Amino acid sequence: MPRPSGNPVIFIVLREMRTPIIVLICVYAVAILGMALIPGRDGEPMSIFHAFYFVMYTATTTGFGELPREFSDAQRIWAIVCLFVTVIAWLYSIGAIIRLVQNRFFQLAREEWYFIRAVQRISEGYYILCGFGDTGSLLARGLSDAGIPAAILDKDEHRIRALGLRDYSVSMPGLCCDASDPRFLVDAGVQSPLCRGVIALTHDEEVNLKIAAVSRLLNPDIKIIAMSASAFHEETLATLGRDTHFVDPFKVFAKGLGAAICNPSLYILNEWLSHARGISLKTRVKLPPPGRWIICGYGRMGREVNRVLAGFKVETAVIDPHFSDEDIDIYIRGRATAKTLKAAGIHKAVGVVAANDDDGLNLSILINARGLHPGIFMIVRQNRHQNEIAFNAANVDIIMQPSLVTARKILFMLVAPLLKPFFGFLVEKHLHDRRFMERLLRRLTMSLGEAPPQLLTLGLVPGQACALDQAWRQGAEVRLGDLMRDPRLREEGLAIVPFALKRRDGTIRFLPDDAIVLEPGDELLLCGTESALQLLESTLNNEYLLYYVLTGKNMPRGYFMRWLRRKLEGDEAVSWPRRPTAA
Amino acid sequence: MNLEKVIFGFFIVMALTLNFGFFLGEMEKPEYHNVFELFVLVVVNLIATGLKLGDRTQIGAILLSTSLVADLQLIAAAVYWTIVVHVTKTGLTPDVTASIVSLSGGALVANIVSVVMVVAETLMLRR
Repeated sequence: MPRPSGNPVIFIVLREMRTPIIVLICVYAVAILGMALIPGRDGEPMSIFHAFYFVMYTATTTGFGELPREFSDAQRIWAIVCLFVTVIAWLYSIGAIIRLVQNRFFQLAREEWYFIRAVQRISEGYYILCGFGDTGSLLARGLSDAGIPAAILDKDEHRIRALGLRDYSVSMPGLCCDASDPRFLVDAGVQSPLCRGVIALTHDEEVNLKIAAVSRLLNPDIKIIAMSASAFHEETLATLGRDTHFVDPFKVFAKGLGAAICNPSLYILNEWLSHARGISLKTRVKLPPPGRWIICGYGRMGREVNRVLAGFKVETAVIDPHFSDEDIDIYIRGRATAKTLKAAGIHKAVGVVAANDDDGLNLSILINARGLHPGIFMIVRQNRHQNEIAFNAANVDIIMQPSLVTARKILFMLVAPLLKPFFGFLVEKHLHDRRFMERLLRRLTMSLGEAPPQLLTLGLVPGQACALDQAWRQGAEVRLGDLMRDPRLREEGLAIVPFALKRRDGTIRFLPDDAIVLEPGDELLLCGTESALQLLESTLNNEYLLYYVLTGKNMPRGYFMRWLRRKLEGDEAVSWPRRPTAA
Repeated sequence: MNLEKVIFGFFIVMALTLNFGFFLGEMEKPEYHNVFELFVLVVVNLIATGLKLGDRTQIGAILLSTSLVADLQLIAAAVYWTIVVHVTKTGLTPDVTASIVSLSGGALVANIVSVVMVVAETLMLRR
């Protein structure tokens, strides 16, 4: 069905008001005509203008006292008739408007129209976020902090209302609708060139899959990220083309947990990069010695946790009320109570993972385990964001929220795609060199201090680094270390640590050193303080600052001064440091 | 010490101080406002404008535009002075003097903006 172009709200109002407007016109016409025909005191009727004037103020019951001329009785009778008929006509018209405004479908059309307009007004690249639950709202907050707008679709009206009260720094229009309906995806601008991607985070995996498929059909080039926890869906998503990613919250959670147990520095780094509360680079997780871990709850999440721990060769015991036909050494059927915890060997165990999807159950496991074995290491899954206060009050070693972990992971996928290979590199390094992570954390502390870190993905392309582009065109050689100098005082370094450098041919160098020569089209992942990153951007876009950090000399800024310098000191004095030409 | 900064700063501050000197004094009395001071002021302003040409930064662009504003107002004042003395021969009556001085007052504001920006930009650098 072709949709009416233009404003559908005005269209509906006009269509609904057709009858009331015709009724009003007819009533006015009859009243004016009667007034203009009935003879007055002197036998002459009113002119049409006077009749029109009189009916205008009578019909709206304004009760204006001015009469053109005193009325005859015949006119008075007609005036009474006019008054009643016009008032009834007005009541009918106003009633029609109120009925329309209260109509649920009219409200929906209006909201949809406002939403479409708000999306069209976004002037930079944005994402479409389907599902505004715990994960969705955390992700929206992260996007807002990164200055990226998003169009938000959710089925739940309350969530969309809650969205309206948030104080985001960028535009985040929301619409209450079924996000898998292609029409609403089009409303959200899935086909717009500004739309950078669709993120499907609803609770229903079938819906996520459908959103992904519909988005791919509507826009073949768009980035799609879908939350999915079953292998079947992942297979289907994998067939949707190159820029389709799936995020399994259970796998993400289990991986994070595995990192926390086996590579705590990486866990700290990840938490610190996501600005987790109470985490600084000096925070250290005091890990228990190797030994048995008890996993309470063997649902999808418990299964992933067990698999990851088995991968790290950690001995595990499982407590779950459901029957399992898997081959597990210690599997205790039943709810996790003091009795089952004892049966699982809590006195010998070093850690407990409470991974149920019920926060009350997890908290009770926590209390039981602490009672039986006070020093035991506790990792607890927190399902609902609003239970945060209770979990923070409990003395837990690590709290993991699947929604938070997932939101962070997706955010990093969007704003810092190079972070994933960088973490892979860190895991690899950690296997060979146990001190490596410590050295990295110390380097970050030295460089950034206590300031909160920001990640920046910087493409060395003319749009993002115009001065650098110009310098390159004049044959300049630029080393990474030179860009990391403070443009205000060259001898000092900026509080930035480069994490990764991706060449145009796709090769990635991790923790690139200062001597590396940059090339056009390189992509850098940088971690630094906000002010340092701003200074870096000013260096990259101001050729005088760039010249200063590269050479330590000031380039004369005016034509005259440049001419003078060239006369006095020769051409070399105002040219860029040359790339050594290959002989 | 950077010789270029010295020359640049000298002309920009000189434009401001001369401008202030010319502006100072009762507005409608020609004896407070020296014609040679106005002449030097125009010349120094033009030199300052010349030094600002060719800067490709945002601040450079704004600096140049403030200088152009000052030039425009001062040249208008000088032309007006010439016309009343030599063409219409009305001489420097109080109202004419007041217009000339008020034009130089406008140029003074532009020069102040210019100096403030140069100082602020220099203070941002720690070197």
